[in-house]
Amino acid sequence: MLESEKAKTSWYNKNYKKLLLIPIILLILSLSQLGYMYFKTGQIIDRDITLTGGTSITIFVEKEVNIEEISDFLNGKIEEFVIRELSDFQSGKQKAIVIETLSSSEETKKILEKFIGYKLTNENSSIESTGSALGESFYKQLIYAVILSFFLMSITIFFIFRSPVPSFAVILSVFADIIMTIAIVNIIGIKISSAGIIAILMLIGYSVDTDIMLTTRLLKRSGDINENLKQAFKTGLTMTLTSIIAVATALIITYSISNVLAQIFSILIIGLIFDIINTWITNVIIMKWYLEAKK
Amino acid sequence: MNWKIWLLIIFISSSLLAIFPMKFYQGLEIVSVDTNSLAYNQGLRQGMRIISIDDKSIINLKDFQLALSKLPSSENQKLTIITDKGSFILFTNKTLEISVKKIEKTRIKTGLDLSGGSRALVKAQDKELTKSELNDLISVTEERLNVYGLNDVQIKTVSDLSGNNFMLIEIAGSTPKELENLISQQGKFEAKIGNDTVFEGGDKDITYVARTGDQAGVYSCQDSGDGSQICQFRFSISLSPEAAKKHADTTCKLGTNSSLPQYLDKPLDLYLDDVLVNSLFIGRDLKCSETTQIQISGSGSGQTREEAFDNALTEMKQLQTVLISGSLPFKLEIVKLDTISPLLGKEFINTILLSALLSFIAVGLVIFIRYRNIKLSLAVLLTSFSEILIILGISALFNRNLDLPAIAAIIAAIGTGVDSQIIILDESRIINTSLKDRIKRALAIIMGIYFTTLFSLLPLMWAGAGLLKGFAIVTIIGVSVGVFITRPAFSEIVKNIVKE
Repeated sequence: MLESEKAKTSWYNKNYKKLLLIPIILLILSLSQLGYMYFKTGQIIDRDITLTGGTSITIFVEKEVNIEEISDFLNGKIEEFVIRELSDFQSGKQKAIVIETLSSSEETKKILEKFIGYKLTNENSSIESTGSALGESFYKQLIYAVILSFFLMSITIFFIFRSPVPSFAVILSVFADIIMTIAIVNIIGIKISSAGIIAILMLIGYSVDTDIMLTTRLLKRSGDINENLKQAFKTGLTMTLTSIIAVATALIITYSISNVLAQIFSILIIGLIFDIINTWITNVIIMKWYLEAKK
Repeated sequence: MNWKIWLLIIFISSSLLAIFPMKFYQGLEIVSVDTNSLAYNQGLRQGMRIISIDDKSIINLKDFQLALSKLPSSENQKLTIITDKGSFILFTNKTLEISVKKIEKTRIKTGLDLSGGSRALVKAQDKELTKSELNDLISVTEERLNVYGLNDVQIKTVSDLSGNNFMLIEIAGSTPKELENLISQQGKFEAKIGNDTVFEGGDKDITYVARTGDQAGVYSCQDSGDGSQICQFRFSISLSPEAAKKHADTTCKLGTNSSLPQYLDKPLDLYLDDVLVNSLFIGRDLKCSETTQIQISGSGSGQTREEAFDNALTEMKQLQTVLISGSLPFKLEIVKLDTISPLLGKEFINTILLSALLSFIAVGLVIFIRYRNIKLSLAVLLTSFSEILIILGISALFNRNLDLPAIAAIIAAIGTGVDSQIIILDESRIINTSLKDRIKRALAIIMGIYFTTLFSLLPLMWAGAGLLKGFAIVTIIGVSVGVFITRPAFSEIVKNIVKE
């Protein structure tokens, strides 16, 4: 081993526990963000109409519609609305506009027809409407599903490792991952849809992968902890980077055409980036600490 | 070759068989036939394949339109339609009320959010429905949609985590504009004279409802005076003997109309869901008669004559539908209604395929940069590709629709799959123990990941009225295929590559 590398390793061996401060601070900041959100709105996330109830109308436009114009027109006429464009990936040409609002579909449809000057039919538009009671119940159930999933995941982890500290390390990493991701999603201002909640569930699966691999390697392999760590790091980073690159590619292409997929992919990318921090700092340090204390 | 690789090969080939049917059919498939039409009466049905019309073979939609371009015409035309189920000869001067589509090249069915259609989630207003009430509701709804001529319909009950029961209706293809009425209308039809109910909708009182021919149709249109147009429809119905008796008893009590002496002094009032839709004068000669034939009439209005005509026809069809299917014992509420235009579908699928392809290339590149071995890169891609193929094969086999949640699920499964393959690759390259042990250890990690994913998906089977069940099922299928079929084969392939 080179002198400089040796020095690095010995620094790392002496001071690694301090590194835990990074995820701890991030987690506290994220939890405060969620707390702030809850204090301000009564919910920890900003929900879109699939979870609050409301209407989403997609109009396949004949000629390009100016978003600002339609926005000015709709202002004050319908409740809390968001307008988006869908465009062709290759040419970038506007294909459709999506209007999401808390107002009813009948009302919104009438007002939109006034603006575009022709009738909205089942051919030239798609209309999705969800009653507010149902949206509310969807939201509650999905949150419940995420909590239940997390709980079932935790039990499985305990069952696999049968040892409290390593299991706790994995579970904490996944937890931190989800909380940090939601905080960033809130800060960016993404309104979470039911697809977004699916993405959070997918994230549980993706982030637990690297944690299980790491913990198994450290627990079941004999030899130097740092050497095992280095090997596991290489594997884990390949896993996460592959996922990030694949998902980012998919995001770039589907971004302009599907809100549902774009949201799933965005949340996954944010989560996977945090997964690197949480697996390779949070989980690793707790495990190293634990293994060294055990010696 | 190892049996694990054989297993993979068997699964891949069966999936290919499930996705791509062996026979290549010619012609166009009939998607729907209006039950109210001549084509239906002559025996043309949904699912039949039109091979030729008037000896001209039908290959695409253009052929079909061309072959029928002589309609509508002023006089009856003879049409010879040859299908896979026999030939049919029609004499008509009207446009055929059937819709057709190209025969799919694959058996993969795309969901509503990709191919267009509508979905409604319905529950009773202020009332929890029991299982048997729900089943009654479903059979009435099925009948209504059927009478209406909608065939590609799926209706099922769904319940959610909070114990609510819903009826979920999914209709593929284009959505009729009156769908909302058709499914949410209670459809309580009453014919009253004064306060006495003479008969109600449903087969107890009404034995027959005329829907075609001379006994049903829109018969006149005129200016309504205020610039709009109004069209009248009428159709005849047959009453049961009991209802006819009631008609006789009630009309016996009536006197003669003083200003219009050819009629009785009280009209027959038609109520639909407690709203008066029409009042019909009763001819004097019908007094005390046990008549079984009754004419029902009504009207529709619109800005143009065409619109008024269409609306009258729509009103008639709806009224006929509730008269046949009867009413529901409770009021309904549509809690979610999605109508998705089929316009974006194809492009959507192309975009998804493009993004899958590019993601694949990206993954292959990352693996190549890490391991500097093109064979390993190819092995990873091949494994992931066969996973997708097998998931699609299973979906085709069980007629599962491929919708957006299912696509997200495939991504989730493939992502976890690639992760596991990387674990196998790295474990197999560490040289302190035998290759067999290393692979075994890799599989232990993979099983851990598998069970965590499996259990964490279970809650989605019930949450959100089952609308996300598809995601959970496809992911579970995907990760299971990965763990039990593709990954064992992948480890074998890797063993061979590493040995070299």
